[in-house]
Amino acid sequence: MSGDIRLRREFIATSLLLLVLALLPLAMRDVYWLGVLVVSAYFAILASSWNLLAGFTGQFSLAPAAFAMIGAYGAALSAAYYNVPPLIGLLIGTVSAGLIGLVLGRIVMRLRGPYLALTTLSFAEIVRLVASNSINITRGDLGLPLEPWFNDRVIWFYVFLSALTFVICGLYLLLRSQAGLFLEAIRDDEIAAARSGVRIVFWKTAAFAISSAAAGFAGALYAYFASLVTPELGLVQQTGLVVSMTVIGGMGSLIGPVVGAFLVYVTSEWLRDVGGWQLVIFAALVIVFARLFRAGLWGLVITALAPRRKLA
Amino acid sequence: MTSLLSVQGVTKRFGGLVAVADVTFDIAPGELVGLIGPNGSGKTTLLNIMSGNLSGDEGTIRLDGEPCTGLKPQRLARRGLMRMFQLTRIFPRMNVLDNLLVSGRALGLAADEAKVRANGLLEELQIAHVRHLDAGQLSGGQMKLLEFGCCFMRTPRLALLDEPFAAIHPTMKEIMSRFIRARHAEGQAFVLVSHDMPVIVELCPRSICMNAGRVLSDGKTSDVLTAPAVIDAYLGGAAA
Amino acid sequence: MLSGALAADLAVNGLVTGLFYGLMAIGLALIFGVLRIVNFAHGEFYMVGAYAYTIIAARLGVPLFVALPSAFLFGAALGWVVERTLMRPLYANIGSWGLMRDEYAVIVTFGLSLLLVNLVDKAIGPYAFRAPALVSASRVVVGPALMSGQKVAAAVVTLAALALIALFLRFSYWGRAVRAVSQNRLGASLAGIDATAVSSLVFALAGGLAALAGALLSPIINASPDVGAFPAIKSYVIVVLGGMGSIPGAFVASLLLGLVESFGAVLVSYQYRDTFGLVLLILFLLFRPQGLFGERGREV
Ligand SMILES: Nc1ncnc2c1ncn2[C@@H]1O[C@H](COP(=O)(O)OP(=O)(O)OP(=O)(O)O)[C@@H](O)[C@H]1O
Ligand SMILES: [Mg+2]
Repeated sequence: MSGDIRLRREFIATSLLLLVLALLPLAMRDVYWLGVLVVSAYFAILASSWNLLAGFTGQFSLAPAAFAMIGAYGAALSAAYYNVPPLIGLLIGTVSAGLIGLVLGRIVMRLRGPYLALTTLSFAEIVRLVASNSINITRGDLGLPLEPWFNDRVIWFYVFLSALTFVICGLYLLLRSQAGLFLEAIRDDEIAAARSGVRIVFWKTAAFAISSAAAGFAGALYAYFASLVTPELGLVQQTGLVVSMTVIGGMGSLIGPVVGAFLVYVTSEWLRDVGGWQLVIFAALVIVFARLFRAGLWGLVITALAPRRKLA
Repeated sequence: MTSLLSVQGVTKRFGGLVAVADVTFDIAPGELVGLIGPNGSGKTTLLNIMSGNLSGDEGTIRLDGEPCTGLKPQRLARRGLMRMFQLTRIFPRMNVLDNLLVSGRALGLAADEAKVRANGLLEELQIAHVRHLDAGQLSGGQMKLLEFGCCFMRTPRLALLDEPFAAIHPTMKEIMSRFIRARHAEGQAFVLVSHDMPVIVELCPRSICMNAGRVLSDGKTSDVLTAPAVIDAYLGGAAA
Repeated sequence: MLSGALAADLAVNGLVTGLFYGLMAIGLALIFGVLRIVNFAHGEFYMVGAYAYTIIAARLGVPLFVALPSAFLFGAALGWVVERTLMRPLYANIGSWGLMRDEYAVIVTFGLSLLLVNLVDKAIGPYAFRAPALVSASRVVVGPALMSGQKVAAAVVTLAALALIALFLRFSYWGRAVRAVSQNRLGASLAGIDATAVSSLVFALAGGLAALAGALLSPIINASPDVGAFPAIKSYVIVVLGGMGSIPGAFVASLLLGLVESFGAVLVSYQYRDTFGLVLLILFLLFRPQGLFGERGREV
């Protein structure tokens, strides 16, 4: 099957999923569960943006949570010190994360596999430690409060859902263009891609910057939703969640991270009532999926639906 | 300037080992040159420098008269220098067709044009039946043919082929050499590295023989193969 | 500026911290050497060791000279199980992960880290556990420095353990096998070395050493589910500085990092002391990926 058709199929499935989600408030207006869905959408954006790097470009970064935190602080700091309105704050958060991602992406260009993972992990920890220790600017672990934008959870839900839709459409357009071809080529073999004339530096850096900007966008939006920004947003465990969601949903597919994020987060809230073993279960699932079902839930669905192929 | 590629005094050292030592030669447009020499004589290293995968310590390289020493491989590819690696390099998780499309699109073909071209190449190289298979699932020989095809998605100025015939079945070898001969007849220039002397004799009017990083002999293939220094290098071992 | 006495004190403290780092990092370096992966669950071996020691010694009242080796064995057993169950796809080429072994390794070890942290958090509880002291002396004079008795005792055991490991790697058959597989897995297999067994051994050793480190330090830093995060990050920094996979390199880098942090906290900034190592890691990976002593190989 050609990559083109596969991508289109994933996009259609994702659109259907988003549509179903959009109809949910008709049936359910529980404030708590709407909040859960909002956070799920936040993670879905993070996981999708991380998937662009890890799944499509082969750059296994361990910094998505750090970029979300950068975006959140971009919004919160500009609101706290310059009183900017939320839309400008969002823009500042997104752009600052994107620019830092651009620089980091350019710097780590040549690193691969464990080396890249270690570098981005260190970067994430440095940013978090700086945020938590620069107490006179960020108030450290106390966090920076923000004026809430609005309070209606239904509106927040639709804001986050639109943001997710926007990110998914953007990713789809990007991957459908020649960029998708080039990014996958870089993932598979960088030297062969260079031989074929692919501009490695440009595409790798662009992917890093776009992914970081999307994470920063999610973070900034989340900052207004939570009305408080703390360094905890950038914890490695948050990155762990993002990775888990992507792997469980299906890495390297457009829909996988979205399915993974909603499924993991909603079920984990639901499991909270049964003693809080949710994180244990998900960590175990990540290992099981990585070990046995590489293509994630989406991969399982595809295999189940596919007509039995003749042995070629 | 009649020279397509001009290599001037290129030298590369790895620690104490001189892998390429002051190599100088020119390739004219449309020329098909065989590059031979014992194992470890520096052929791949020289190609690596020419294609920008390695930077030389000394010397200059010009393509179409313009200096291109130290340019990145992707820049050189866009200027028409295509290269096939000795250890096959393809995109294992993309299907065969997409593998070709990468080269086509990156070198500036439009989407439709690239598809037509790719399908043509698949037919010509007789791997059309596996076009939707992931490239990682191909046999070793099929992978070589695919990588070979990638070099011709856009007609290159010069194709550098590093042992395309190694570990290849005679029928596939025949497909490739027929392809090379046909393109050469249309004016395509090649550098062909091979240990397969009959093929070199058959395909290449001119050959360069290297030993221990140096050019031993450069000229008509028949002359090169009978030069005493070359016979010495091959039969007497690379002890020099 | 620094007075002579303070400098000496910082140096001794830095070196002792470096020894502890070494105990952690050498396992990580061994794993990287043999399997070419970074074990992102390394800190959890440390955590498990801290708990094993605390529970065995404090709850069950077992004497220390039994409790410490038990912690080592516990970590080793865990490491062995992890290798047997999760690391096999790395060299058996199972399924399509064959093409993505780096990704697989990061995901699985990262997932394992999440699993162990949360499992302990749920099964034992999120609160720090107080471990029994190794010795009763509270302060000991070490050359120019004054140090807690716990630290000195832990340092002595650490030195002994490091010496044993060095002897093992240098002179035993399995030690030589480990070094052979690190250099060339295929070649070593062809020479009749059981590379798979070596991988198991290395994971067990690494788990045991990290667990021992956790046990030794638990009287100072009490066991809690996330207690391993900090030493894990230090050992990442160290294996990078030492040249990924080099054991002597890792040892030297451990001492060096101990010193850098000890002096840096006083001379540069106390607030940001934990970022020095991370900055070093990034700089090294960018400009000297082969580490302090290593060499680079061939790519094309
Ligand atoms: N990155 C490197 N580091 C160290 N030495 C190298 C490196 N690349 C090549 N060499 C050495 O340079 C010499 C030339 O190698 P090269 O691969 O160019 O030979 P070759 O002529 O292509 O041989 P073959 O016919 O076996 O392919 C060899 O001795 C090789 O060991
Ligand atoms: Mg060669």
